[in-house]
Amino acid sequence: MKAYRWVVRGVYGFFGTVFVAVVAFKVFQPVQVLPRVRLGPGFILVDQNGQQLTNEDLRGKVVLYAFLYTRCPGDCYGIVPTLQRAQAEGPAIMGDIPFRIVAISLDPAHDTPEVLRAYARQVGADPAVWTFATHPDPKRLKLIVGAGFGEYYEPQPDGSVRFDPRYILIDGWGIVRGEYKYETLASTEERILRHLGVLAEEIRNSQGSAKLAYEAAHFFLCYAP
Amino acid sequence: MAYKKPVLVLVGALLLVAVGWWGWNRFRPYAFHGTVLQSTEPAPDFTLMSADGPVSLRDFRGKVVMLYFGYTFCPDVCPTTLFEVQRAMELLGDDADQVQFIMVSVDPARDTPERLKEYVQYFDPRFIGVTGSEDEIAEVATQYGIYYQKHEGTVATGYLVDHTASITVVDKKGYVKLIFPYGTPAEDMAADLKYLISH
Repeated sequence: MKAYRWVVRGVYGFFGTVFVAVVAFKVFQPVQVLPRVRLGPGFILVDQNGQQLTNEDLRGKVVLYAFLYTRCPGDCYGIVPTLQRAQAEGPAIMGDIPFRIVAISLDPAHDTPEVLRAYARQVGADPAVWTFATHPDPKRLKLIVGAGFGEYYEPQPDGSVRFDPRYILIDGWGIVRGEYKYETLASTEERILRHLGVLAEEIRNSQGSAKLAYEAAHFFLCYAP
Repeated sequence: MAYKKPVLVLVGALLLVAVGWWGWNRFRPYAFHGTVLQSTEPAPDFTLMSADGPVSLRDFRGKVVMLYFGYTFCPDVCPTTLFEVQRAMELLGDDADQVQFIMVSVDPARDTPERLKEYVQYFDPRFIGVTGSEDEIAEVATQYGIYYQKHEGTVATGYLVDHTASITVVDKKGYVKLIFPYGTPAEDMAADLKYLISH
């Protein structure tokens, strides 16, 4: 009978250990991930060289999207400096995982490929990393940026564009993994760079048995702050 | 009595392993074959035209919906994909009634609702084909991450349409749950769909 009691204890012990392990995983979050928020949009844009740029061209690459226009007055919410920093530090963080920045202009009437090309040079955009693009048809652009990326913008009669400054991080499967709003601008840059690191870790390590740990992190919503 | 103790301990240990194995299989999170999303917003709704009248995504709340963007003149990718989906439906058996496959045309100029119906029903009479105006299709495709573009074909085929060839799976509550990349085997699709049907 003594042995029987040991068996019962063993069963309790087993489930107890599993329970504690699950709680510990949730509380201490040894593995953190970025949520798989929703599908990124399908699109055809035109880049600063007049070449077509589609979401399929960017498949397999981690892409940071931003929205702007070249006539945006003042520091324009600090978008360009943020992208400059992402360009400087992003590729090193991502290592061998392809990383791109796509800045989409909300002012296609003014921001022709020539204007975007000149602007890209002016802000020091490396064409291998950082692309400027837009769509010449304002209606199509609204569909891609508004309905697709969920970005609000409204061209004004004076030629300016009212918009919500936002950054969107999309992974190689075309899934939105992060959205960064202006309200948190003080820490936006840091957050984006930190999240690039989290995403790179997951892409690099999510194989074999480690994949299970990453899937568990998704399951238990262990999201990086 | 002394000889019994090791036997009991052995039996106990085996029992523990068995219970552990059962518990692991019963409670571990299901590992999907497709790419999983945890959308917090419902999948964008749409209403497009089939040969039997308008079709909206919300009509299928309570079913698992597979959305595929293709066209009937599609020479290779679409028939291959539809054939795999047909096989997945066969593997699901009776559960297949809980799944609705919808093909959205990326070639609205040539794909009439009737032509689409004939095309998809060649694979499975439960399949639905829908189309709409150029603008309507562009809107749905953009929201579902689908790229498509016409390009030159041969004299025989006329123009072709390049398009994203993955399948988007919307769960019973109307949220985008899975992406099946092109080439996902029917067995993998069936396993994932079965899980979504029963959970």
